[in-house]
Amino acid sequence: MQGYRRADQTPPPAQRITDLVVMRHEHIYEVDPDLMTEHVEQQHIPAWDMLRMVDSRLEWLYMLQAHFSDERVSGEELLAEIEAEEASHP
Amino acid sequence: MATVTALDDRVLEGLAEIVGHQYVLTSKTARINRARVPSMFAVHRWEEHVPQVVVLPASAHEVSEIVKLANRERIPVVPRAGGTGLVDGAVPLNRGILVDIKRMDHVGEVDLAERAITVGPGVNMFKLNEMLRPYGVMYPDNPASYTCALVGGRIGTNGWSLLGARFGHVRNLVISFEIVLPTGEIIRVGEGGGIKTRSSSSGYRLKELFMGTQGTLGIVTEATLELVKRPEAEFSAFWLQRSYDTAWKTGGELMRSGYATIAGVMLFDERKVDFVRRDDEAYVPQPDWCEAVCAFALYGNRAEVRPAAKEMMRIAKASGGEYVGDEIAQLDWSARHDRYATPLHGRTPNGQVAPMSWHCEDAGIPYPKVPEIRKRWHAIVDDLVARHPIFDDWGMFSYTNGPYKPWGDMLCEIDVGIWEEHLDDETWGAWVDCKREIARASIEVGGTISAAHGSSRAGEVDLVPLELGGAYDVMKTIKRALDPNNIMNPGKYGLDSAYEDG
Ligand SMILES: Cc1cc2nc3c(=O)[nH]c(=O)nc-3n(C[C@H](O)[C@H](O)[C@H](O)COP(=O)(O)OP(=O)(O)OC[C@H]3O[C@@H](n4cnc5c(N)ncnc54)[C@H](O)[C@@H]3O)c2cc1C
Repeated sequence: MQGYRRADQTPPPAQRITDLVVMRHEHIYEVDPDLMTEHVEQQHIPAWDMLRMVDSRLEWLYMLQAHFSDERVSGEELLAEIEAEEASHP
Repeated sequence: MATVTALDDRVLEGLAEIVGHQYVLTSKTARINRARVPSMFAVHRWEEHVPQVVVLPASAHEVSEIVKLANRERIPVVPRAGGTGLVDGAVPLNRGILVDIKRMDHVGEVDLAERAITVGPGVNMFKLNEMLRPYGVMYPDNPASYTCALVGGRIGTNGWSLLGARFGHVRNLVISFEIVLPTGEIIRVGEGGGIKTRSSSSGYRLKELFMGTQGTLGIVTEATLELVKRPEAEFSAFWLQRSYDTAWKTGGELMRSGYATIAGVMLFDERKVDFVRRDDEAYVPQPDWCEAVCAFALYGNRAEVRPAAKEMMRIAKASGGEYVGDEIAQLDWSARHDRYATPLHGRTPNGQVAPMSWHCEDAGIPYPKVPEIRKRWHAIVDDLVARHPIFDDWGMFSYTNGPYKPWGDMLCEIDVGIWEEHLDDETWGAWVDCKREIARASIEVGGTISAAHGSSRAGEVDLVPLELGGAYDVMKTIKRALDPNNIMNPGKYGLDSAYEDG
């Protein structure tokens, strides 16, 4: 059995994305901690908890998609078709 | 006007006889929690709006008895559904009895032959549609508050749906409903006398009269709702644009394109794009050149959605914008219910994060005037922020407005963050003035103060007579005739003035 190891829960170092936003876990964007010093302080969130929150939000969004319709039409596919048509009849 | 300082035991006992002791709530928490709604609230004056008692009736008969008692005793009655309304409709301005309709959540038979279902006003659309899914049908009222607003409140506000261009808004989707009048009589309004009939030329259009009243003309106790075939296919696309002007022109072309499966066409301006750029959880990486977004969504049968989506993508591509890709487009559309109220996205002028709550001003604006209103609204809010940095401009978006006819005008919304903790009489007054200026600008460009939420709050409410002209006097005549003692949600829409001239 693998127990909880505190050291494993430290998020990876922040990578700067823009002058307002950093990223620690892939595709998870966070407000630059320098902007959270005066009125609201950034909390330390263990890696598993951050990933749990992001996963549950994604789960919620996918659930809502399925709630409203059976399938999603792909815009990428449609654009590829349009581009192929444009290329064959310029 | 009906006013009251303290309810005596006799009244509380009378209420208990109607609904049962356990459904008469007098505790501080039960009352304080039903004093406000999510829109900007004068938190420093919270106490003034705490109802004296909360009751939870279970039937039209119980509601009727409560209303009769209130009439005898001249006590204000305020209906409350999900409490998500944005114009203070469910806020007790004169305290009194708060009627919480959540227990009235019965769901009737799913009538697949007549495509209708009858439900209590305490039913939520999300839950209803989960229940309807195995039947292959849905009730397509889809506000951004989809998961928490209730049918009674949707009728009370004449709500607007994100899928309205395709399926219609609340007035198109509620076939008929039962309402307890301010004097206690129970009537049904719809298309003539039909419960599930879709069209009638018999009599006055009373269904519309009793919609969007913000609870000033009675309490809805049951509604018969439209059921549509559950869509097979959904299409959503977000296009990044180099300028607002391009986004607006492209949006206009898409709106007028004539495809029947369009559910909505949306525009986000550069302030909204900036707001999204500060977002931590739904941050969409965007190239620096992106100054606006034009988006659209379609629903329906696969055989119709795919070809229409392709032609609309052709129009969007010709605008020179960039498609964000399927993953972001589909998830961002799915996030339409929770992208508004993001409290930690407030910023002070030096860029620091501050815990602000969300407020929005919505209006119906003629399509040609949308760029002008955008400039005017931002100038008004900029002036407010310059004087009081507890406010923050969160950008504007616009959305096709007409049911089934997504052209001509747009619902425009400017979102404003406010650090409520720092509100006092001065900042509250400045906010009310700002709202009034926003509403005035909407009227001046030929629009309406509100397309979705109503216009019964301090600030905009003063301008309702200006917008409606002589029709406002008719509203007052109707109010006085149906509610002789002014007990139904008094103080709303300036209607107390109906009782002033005798
Ligand atoms: C995040 C968010 C997003 C939103 N997005 C949208 C949107 O996309 N479209 C839109 O239209 N609105 C939107 N709103 C506003 C709000 O959700 C709607 O106005 C909704 O219709 C209110 O429903 P409710 O059940 O919360 O009603 P409440 O707020 O409880 O009540 C609204 C009004 O109706 C009256 N009322 C309540 N029950 C009854 C009844 N049984 N009979 C008569 N009157 C009654 C109340 O007195 C009040 O005046 C949004 C709100 C939030 C917080």
